Amino acid sequence: MFIHNLKYAIKTLFRDKMLIFWTFAFPIILGTFFNMAFSNIENSEKLEIIDIAIVNNEEFKNNEIYKDTFKTLSDENSEDRLFNTQYVTEEKAKELLENDEISGYLLLENETPKIIVTTSGINETILKTVTEEITQTSEIVKSISESEIKKQMAAGNYKIDYEKIYKEIIEKTQKEEAKITNISNKNLSYTMIEFYTLISMACLYGGILGMVAINQNLANMSNNGKRISVAPTSKGKVIFSSVIASYIAQIIGLSLLFIYTIFVLKVDYGTNLPLVILLGMVGSFAGLSMGLAVGTVLKANEGMKTGILISITMLGCFLSGMMGITMKYIIDKNVPIINKLNPASMITDGLYSLYYYDTLDRYFFNITSLLIFAFVMIGISIFSLRRQKFEKL
Amino acid sequence: MQPDSYDIKAKIGVIFQEVAVFQELTVYENIDYFCGLYIKDKNKRKQYIEDAIQLVGLEEFKKFYPKQLSGGLLRRLNIACGIAHKPELIFLDEPTVAVDPQSRNNILDGIKKLRDNGATIVYTTHYMEEVEIICDRVIILDKGKILANGTTDELKELAKIEEKVTVEVNNLEEKYIEQIKKLENVDEVTYNGNTLLITYKKGKNNLVELIDYMKEENIKYNKIYSERPTLNDVFLELTGKGLRD
Repeated sequence: MFIHNLKYAIKTLFRDKMLIFWTFAFPIILGTFFNMAFSNIENSEKLEIIDIAIVNNEEFKNNEIYKDTFKTLSDENSEDRLFNTQYVTEEKAKELLENDEISGYLLLENETPKIIVTTSGINETILKTVTEEITQTSEIVKSISESEIKKQMAAGNYKIDYEKIYKEIIEKTQKEEAKITNISNKNLSYTMIEFYTLISMACLYGGILGMVAINQNLANMSNNGKRISVAPTSKGKVIFSSVIASYIAQIIGLSLLFIYTIFVLKVDYGTNLPLVILLGMVGSFAGLSMGLAVGTVLKANEGMKTGILISITMLGCFLSGMMGITMKYIIDKNVPIINKLNPASMITDGLYSLYYYDTLDRYFFNITSLLIFAFVMIGISIFSLRRQKFEKL
Repeated sequence: MQPDSYDIKAKIGVIFQEVAVFQELTVYENIDYFCGLYIKDKNKRKQYIEDAIQLVGLEEFKKFYPKQLSGGLLRRLNIACGIAHKPELIFLDEPTVAVDPQSRNNILDGIKKLRDNGATIVYTTHYMEEVEIICDRVIILDKGKILANGTTDELKELAKIEEKVTVEVNNLEEKYIEQIKKLENVDEVTYNGNTLLITYKKGKNNLVELIDYMKEENIKYNKIYSERPTLNDVFLELTGKGLRD
């Protein structure tokens, strides 16, 4: 009986075009659009190397901070190269600027940097900002150096190695910068954030499958349910086999989404792919159980229930950052309880945690939250099913 | 009967008024699915499915999906899904609603076969001619109350009229209609310009008397015939002629 029902439940699910669209096709279509939209944004955000010139006068030659910083930022072998720098005379720099061969040039005079540009665009703003940053760092280095010298003199050490102190402070500053750079590399791209919410949406769409499993088998929900209810079979067995069929369909849909995003859209889920998949499976279980609860508790037709489930899913994904990650931060900051109860947020948060944290504590916290959510939903469904009584002959 | 009275449920077949089949399954698969809820043995089930398909005449449509079937064929599939497991007691709820005459004929033939094979059939319908064809005992229900219960002949005895005479006659003058109303045993006379319908309270030789009268008055007619009251007459008489919601 179980196998017989499972076989036909799978057949009906896979032949239902509407279900196939929402569970299989829609996430893939949306993923394709995300990929097209966000990879373009990311590409457009990549900075081109800016052509600049620096007046190579004595003052510049003697200023280690400016010299080193611009050397680093113009390093041809560096991935973070920002400038293509020419070291020239002031006359040559003016000539290059007039001929539009450079965006601007730097002239260091009387310890004051001057940026000479002819227009104000992104390149010019970057040159100006970088120069201001160097000036500020230079001031900090000077101040720390003075303080260190005073400290050593106060300690009675008058044989001060000025060069050593200076180099140590510069090294320190550079390390600090390097640290900041490493953290920024951990930032997720727009595309990855969107794909996480997409996985979350695909998981929760399993709710439609769960709801269909309920609707097809209950006498008060569908004509087929009436026919099944008069048959000599256990209602629990029939529903359970339909739910298993729904979960199989859901996992196949999710697998297709992973295969498509990995092999066609070239999405890199990193080294934690098995954990991403595990979260997807648990998320699908949560989505399915939500559908069971909606299917049993709400007294409406299948179309209405589908609409309600899609609305709940989309709202959950919106609050978890599908239409902009800022929303997730706003909710987390102001009404954190919403995202604690929102399964879409549990899924995306679990996925973020794989990137942001070195331990898996938060990941497993989200897995546990999803399981609790799923069991609460199943509990509601069972309670609601047990309350349904029909006329007896 | 309790929800888990499986031994009793196994002997019952129900055909609902609304078609209850899976749109995603073929004719054969639908019957197999519902029959499989009763019959576990695959070989036995296969034979039962073939029998059901043959009974409702869907041999050529086994691989069709429900949306590819006409209304009549869909009704026949609905019946096949309900009776494939060869139940001893079958409930049919208006199985011929909105079907073409050929399908209706096929459905009624199938039901008669089921009856002849020994099944007890509880058939719900508004079509009294179907009742006359297939039912041994009839119960007329109105607003949940039993108004009449018996065989077709027993129910016909309940009718106030005993004979209906129909005359095809053109341009009959009003004075003749009034005179006919005064003839013996006449209950009601209606005339629509070319058909005269006379109902009689009792008596069996009313037709002869009417023909004599028309001959006497030299009334020319095309056709004249007499009928016994139908179940439809009984039904209308018992439940009233007023329109229902």
